Amino acid sequence: MLKHYFQKNLLFLLLLTVPAFCEVDIGGEFLTDNRFRTEDKNKFTCNENRLSLKLDSGISRAQFHAEIWLREQGFSEVSSSSDLQEKDKEKISPSSLEIRELYIDFYRFLSENLELRVGKQRIAWGTADKLNPTDNLNPDDLEDIMDFGRHLGSNSMKLTYYFGDLTLTGVYIPVFIPAVLPSSDWSSALTPAFSLPAGMSVQNFSDSIILPENNPEESSMYAAKIAGKLFNYDLSVSYFHGRDDLPLVNRIEVTPTGASTVNAVAEMLYPKMQVIGADLAGAVCNIGVWAEGARFVNEEVGMETFTVGVGTQTGIALSEEAYFKYVFGFDYTFKNGLYINGQYLHGFVHERGKDNLEDYFMAGIEKKFFNDELKIKIGCGAEVKDFDKVKDNMAVMTMPEVSYYPVDNTEITLGAYLINGKDTTAFGKVKDNDEIYLKFKYNF
Amino acid sequence: MRKIEIMSLMTVLMVSGFVRAEEGKQQVQGTKLTAIEILKKADGVVNAPKDQDIAIEMILIDKEGKEKNRKSKIIQKGSEKRMIKFLSPADVEGLAFLDLPDDVMYLYLPAFKKIRRIASHVKNTSFAGTDFTYDDMASLNYADEYVPELTGEKKTDGLKPVIKEDQKQWQEQEFDHYILELKPKKGIQKDYSKLIMWVRKDNFYPIKIEYYSREGKLHKVMIRTKIEKEGEYWIAKEVEMSDLKKDHKTKMIISEVKYDQDLKDELFTERYLKRR
Repeated sequence: MLKHYFQKNLLFLLLLTVPAFCEVDIGGEFLTDNRFRTEDKNKFTCNENRLSLKLDSGISRAQFHAEIWLREQGFSEVSSSSDLQEKDKEKISPSSLEIRELYIDFYRFLSENLELRVGKQRIAWGTADKLNPTDNLNPDDLEDIMDFGRHLGSNSMKLTYYFGDLTLTGVYIPVFIPAVLPSSDWSSALTPAFSLPAGMSVQNFSDSIILPENNPEESSMYAAKIAGKLFNYDLSVSYFHGRDDLPLVNRIEVTPTGASTVNAVAEMLYPKMQVIGADLAGAVCNIGVWAEGARFVNEEVGMETFTVGVGTQTGIALSEEAYFKYVFGFDYTFKNGLYINGQYLHGFVHERGKDNLEDYFMAGIEKKFFNDELKIKIGCGAEVKDFDKVKDNMAVMTMPEVSYYPVDNTEITLGAYLINGKDTTAFGKVKDNDEIYLKFKYNF
Repeated sequence: MRKIEIMSLMTVLMVSGFVRAEEGKQQVQGTKLTAIEILKKADGVVNAPKDQDIAIEMILIDKEGKEKNRKSKIIQKGSEKRMIKFLSPADVEGLAFLDLPDDVMYLYLPAFKKIRRIASHVKNTSFAGTDFTYDDMASLNYADEYVPELTGEKKTDGLKPVIKEDQKQWQEQEFDHYILELKPKKGIQKDYSKLIMWVRKDNFYPIKIEYYSREGKLHKVMIRTKIEKEGEYWIAKEVEMSDLKKDHKTKMIISEVKYDQDLKDELFTERYLKRR
């Protein structure tokens, strides 16, 4: 705890002194975010103050960039008077420090048309809007499931070569980093249920995660992409060799604890995978269109269920049969400024295996009023698990939002997440999590 | 006798009036300039530099006089390649727009660290909250997109209601102008039914453009003032776009301009769009 406290103070000291010795541009954002449930006694679910600092420095051929989050997040965890006496105040007001990006760009590196970026960086691939099957290089950051599309940075090396209209990119990520999972309230949306004998329920559940061995063969990932233009469309083809960043259960140990209860201990790992992706973006009759698809080839992962007193059953947790995730989308702005955006997605981020990919429809409308001082946005997502029985296998999420910009650099946002659907669907599993949120943002 | 004198005087006056009117016609005919030639010359004057590197301050003024400031940098090569980067305020810093031939446009959104290809439906929407549309910011060669008609020649009476107080500005505008009516060419989609362009006769600089909606109503007015010669080229140091419907205007003030820096083509690529 104290170590963490000193680290934060050291960072502040650095931030204050570094600009005095070298030319560093400091910018960033301050955000407060509070959310509460519409049910469950209006329980607060988010209480965050975030200072996002962006530092940039450099000369014409080399540039440095860092993005650091200082956050006070969560709720007091005080359980005794001694917790109130902790000097770092972590239990009174939990805080954290997070390096989101930290890298150096080398321009005209070795050759006029070659660029090298080294360090912790976000490498965003894909042309679709936040739902990108080809975006597999950085771990998903699903901590805030409503800020979908957020990724952690990866410590990596990225080489980009420009050749006329073509751009060739090669990426090497030495060490595998897993995804951040959502809090327990939301994780059920992304976790597949595992089957137990009829009439049995889990009394206690625990799990262990096996990370890949810490060597290049097991942990390193690499990728390449070629992007260009054809018939006024932007096209790219990519290849990724690495690991799925979401854990997969490959073993469960079930211990009966009563007549109808069991304890379950799960073991999880990160399967190796290769992804061949492609995307395009352009326009058809003034309408913006994009498409993105990725063919996933996993290693086969076996499934072992050991039940005390019964024995071991084996099966397949993930088949090596390839599967294809894809997304199509469009957007259009009407003469009166109304913006609409629609996407169809086959296979959400957590879904794996040919037979487990569901269909999702996303749509959004947006309009600004009063010289852009007010923005109203309504987002909507529908999940259809079975087109033959839509009524019983569908869920809908609605996200109305109003943003007010009183002066430059400020934004006040009031919005809600409203979810309805059947328990068989991913959205439906979290249908009791309807929330209202209020955010204040200041950029500097 | 007196009657004859009066008749003779009237005849002389009528003839001299006729001669002056004919002279006016001759002036247009004498220069042998057609509407399209005037428009091409106007395009040529604005796009004369091989390339331009311009620092701009934008002031957004609402109907109550409340102001918002933006700073940006524009680089342009010829008349077909242009990149605009916002430098301030902080909430738009880094936002960058690249306009290339054949309606190819890209927008860099620093918050998402992504370059987005934008389709032409965006062309007629407001550019970063200003009264300029993406199309206004991008369309530089009017002769390629509009059919012009020479509708007259005037002094700058039409500017009076817009330009106030500043006598220096007003005197600068005391020139003879060609008045062109521009209508979109067939197959070119514009949000305007026509433009009325005022082109200075002495240097062919287009100093005013009126934008008429598809319904034929005057929608926006752009005025270029402080027109000065910097080296070989003419430039308007201030450009004001007024949206009459919204009662809102945007003033662009050029604080620094560099010409013919031999800007490389590679600067007008996605590669440089995201670079600080």
